[in-house]
Amino acid sequence: MDDFFELEADLKRLRPAPVSAVLTLQIENELLQRPGPIIATAGILAPRQSAPASWLPFGLGLAAAIALFAIALSLSRHAPDSKTVASSPPSAAISTEEFQPSSVTRVVYDTRDEGLLFPNSSPQPLRRTHYQTRETMQWRNPGTGASLRVSYPAEEVVLTPVSFQ
Amino acid sequence: MENAARDEDWKMCFTRFGPGLVLFARQWVHSRADAEDIVQEAFVRFWRRQHSIDNKALLYATVRSVALDLLRRDGRRARREAVAALDEEQFREPEFETQDEGQQLLAAAVDRLPSDQRQVVVMKIWNELTFAEIADILAISQNTAASRYRYALATLKKNLQHHG
Repeated sequence: MDDFFELEADLKRLRPAPVSAVLTLQIENELLQRPGPIIATAGILAPRQSAPASWLPFGLGLAAAIALFAIALSLSRHAPDSKTVASSPPSAAISTEEFQPSSVTRVVYDTRDEGLLFPNSSPQPLRRTHYQTRETMQWRNPGTGASLRVSYPAEEVVLTPVSFQ
Repeated sequence: MENAARDEDWKMCFTRFGPGLVLFARQWVHSRADAEDIVQEAFVRFWRRQHSIDNKALLYATVRSVALDLLRRDGRRARREAVAALDEEQFREPEFETQDEGQQLLAAAVDRLPSDQRQVVVMKIWNELTFAEIADILAISQNTAASRYRYALATLKKNLQHHG
């Protein structure tokens, strides 16, 4: 190999042409657009990031519900300042300043089987099922009889391990 | 902050390895634009899985895999590349930055190497891979990788002496 020492040095002095700025920009765009790991799908599904993104509507809905609840609570605390036309005697046993959760419902209105996934981290394939739901949470103030209801659409992706026999 | 660090990581990594990766991809396609497309897809796929350059051999294996997938997917492209290979003497985009006639001759000699020898030289010289890594990427033994490298250098030396 010593015979080639000089030739190797010449080769190393030869520099590959630099990559175009466009290529770097395109890679940057792709990494920004589609962050996160790829899951191999054996051609059954286009790779995409699934579960974390699908919880976004649920999180936003929950945040909106909490915000509305806080506003309602704040309004109810100012209730004694307002004039009332007719009122019943207050009950000492029931706090008039509290909303209590009264019901939570979850209606599934669409279910979609999206096929099998073959993630590298799992020894067996997973079936991906996409649920579209509407969730409704309700609070009630036992003292005033006021109720607060928040309803929002939600999506959920469930990955179920599949075994073949 | 972590995202910013990762952002800088991939840019540093690509600045360092990008030119060698494109050179590596050129052995399957004769257009630089196609080679850059291959590198783009491979690098994005690799980085989204790894987020580091610890496994350099895997990066090159990904480039090879994407290139071979591309050729398999598009038979017309393969035929076109085969025709282009026959005509490559007519026009070929430069793969190296050459500063004098000696370097131009050397670059041309590298281009004329048989494909199996050229890819080992490209990985060894401009991508600084070890024979173990090259063997891993090409699914050959280390001895075969070293032999191809030796044959390539011998061919280059012979061609350059012939021109000199």
